Amino acid sequence: MKRIVNFIKEAPLFSAWIGFLLIPMAFGLYAGVQVLMKGLVLTDLSDRVPWGLWITVDLSSIASGGGAFILSAFVYLLGLKRYRPIARAAVLVGFLGYTSAMLALLMDIGRPDRFWHPVVFWNVHSLLWEITWCVLLYASVLTLEMLPTVLDAPFLARHKWLVKLGHTLHKFAPVLAVFGLGLSLLHQSSLGATYGVLVGRPIWFKPTMSVLFILSAAAGGLALTMTVTIIVGRLAGKHMVPPKLIRELAQVAGFAMLAYLYLKIWDWASIAYYGHNLPADRVEAFSLLSSSTPYDVTFWWGEVLLCGLIPAIIFLWPALRRDEGMLIVGGILAVAGLVIMRWNVTLSGAVIPMDWSPGVADIFPVATYNPTAIEWMVTGGIVAYWLMAFSLAVKFLPIYPEAAEREVAEEKVAATAAQKVA
Amino acid sequence: MTTHTESGQATGMTRRDVLGIMGLTGLVGAIAAIFGRIPFLRSLIPAPRPATRSETERGEHHWGMVIDLSRCIGCEYCVYACQAVNDVPDDMRWNVHVIDRTAAGDIFHLTRNCMHCQEAPCVMVCPVGATYVREDGIVVMDYDVCIGCRYCQAACPYDARHFNWKARDDVNPYEPTWGVAEIERRPRGVMEKCTFCVHRIDAGLERGMIPGVHREATPACVNICPVEARFFGDLNDPESTVSQILASRPTIRLREELGTEPSVYYIPPDGEERLDP
Repeated sequence: MKRIVNFIKEAPLFSAWIGFLLIPMAFGLYAGVQVLMKGLVLTDLSDRVPWGLWITVDLSSIASGGGAFILSAFVYLLGLKRYRPIARAAVLVGFLGYTSAMLALLMDIGRPDRFWHPVVFWNVHSLLWEITWCVLLYASVLTLEMLPTVLDAPFLARHKWLVKLGHTLHKFAPVLAVFGLGLSLLHQSSLGATYGVLVGRPIWFKPTMSVLFILSAAAGGLALTMTVTIIVGRLAGKHMVPPKLIRELAQVAGFAMLAYLYLKIWDWASIAYYGHNLPADRVEAFSLLSSSTPYDVTFWWGEVLLCGLIPAIIFLWPALRRDEGMLIVGGILAVAGLVIMRWNVTLSGAVIPMDWSPGVADIFPVATYNPTAIEWMVTGGIVAYWLMAFSLAVKFLPIYPEAAEREVAEEKVAATAAQKVA
Repeated sequence: MTTHTESGQATGMTRRDVLGIMGLTGLVGAIAAIFGRIPFLRSLIPAPRPATRSETERGEHHWGMVIDLSRCIGCEYCVYACQAVNDVPDDMRWNVHVIDRTAAGDIFHLTRNCMHCQEAPCVMVCPVGATYVREDGIVVMDYDVCIGCRYCQAACPYDARHFNWKARDDVNPYEPTWGVAEIERRPRGVMEKCTFCVHRIDAGLERGMIPGVHREATPACVNICPVEARFFGDLNDPESTVSQILASRPTIRLREELGTEPSVYYIPPDGEERLDP
């Protein structure tokens, strides 16, 4: 108790932040218990819109962990060792993303007590089955990748055998990273294919879904890892990783973003612009979508312009990239774009009525979905969990082992610049 | 392989480590193979349920339905009988009635239950194999396995699946007027759908009855139809009523172009008759 009081005295701002996060977490816990007791009737989901906010949270948090597999590939497959300093942060962001996703899924399934069923009852044709396996295995990989960092913590240093265990585990890091990379590539794209293979749904059924999902996860996941690193550095008054590395990451995220936007535009064009020969139900579904939902606005202004092109420009324009504040703005926009895209995909395919008989589609109105307070509370709780776990991890674990004092590093840069001039 | 070794060296792994890992992988593979060989161990792994028609062994029967849209008057008796016998609430109707229009604009009545697709999209996507195509072509649910993820609902091209959003405590208003509940209520959190009254078919066959001929072995919606617009029977048996109709009259299946191979056939509406009451 005394230690806690001392800690609060030493770090009042941090303690206040943690205390503040406890509020949404408490609300989330309350809402979660309500859902477990009374069921999904507390949500605004319906037979017409079976998936909503929590599936968006699930998809977005898995995608936000995408930075981990990209950086693993950089460090362990391509041998780009200069990305090392940010690898632990990427693993942490991945770990938090996947645990958040599992929390959201546990809320979303009708029988949370049977969450383990996909492990025992197999259907090898189901993308969701494959995703469950990949997510479980990948979460285990991320946990193993996290462990050396945890065991490296200063407060565990007196337990020699733990430190030794950490070092032994660390030896397997490359194997884990490559294994995790395979799992990531599989399920990040399968999440898109989950929608893409549904032949009965005119808006979802298309081959591009998996590619769009994995590219946006790469861009958004990297952007998130980069952004939180900058923010932590700002708060700590340090360079958590070399500034040059941040700029390089921004560039990679920017190119991933451009690739994603490029495919996105062609995906749109091939269906909505050149798609005169598409089946009638698909053409109708898209015109219904633009006439009766805000899809067009959220797609063009949200996904493409504000949360797509603008972050890409910030990440790729050298002058903007050097400004950490701009990078934070770009990163937040990129992550927001990720969430909007998942929301749009999930909702757009569901709200449009299906025409299983000529003329039936006209009978049913376009379905609506407005998440209830309970759904928002659970979502807020999950986000608060993410922020809380991240804050505590960064505070107490050596997530950024190579963090350097800001002043010193800047002096060095200035010195080298001066030398060059001289 | 080169990349692997290179990256291994780059991160402080020796060739011995890499070989060791490869050996370990081989060992795991060997153990897995042994598990597959020895019957006792193999029985510990639950056999995946067949998900597609090509995987399911074709049984003796293939139960199917024909709905005559030129006869249907939209009385909704089949809807209510289904709700009574299967204990289904109004907002989860397994069998629905809609007023539809032909391409020419003529009104007709369409009732739609589960299509019992042989290549069912819902069956393909279920992550736990809780829904499957039986050997006799009926698509059923295992309520004890379903986790309630609702992927099948997203996948069904016919809106035929319904989720138990809440625990039910309602009184079924269709009982006993339209029939008596013959199956248990489904628990909260699982998916449900039309079963072709599979409990009647299975029990009837055991007692030597022919589904589609004997009323006790025939779906409730077929029995109650006052205008004989619904027919049920074995599509494998050329003598059955449904086979005879399929052989003699033009029929359609809903969204056939999706390749779902439904077991429910429709006799197209006759627009002029409907306009002339």
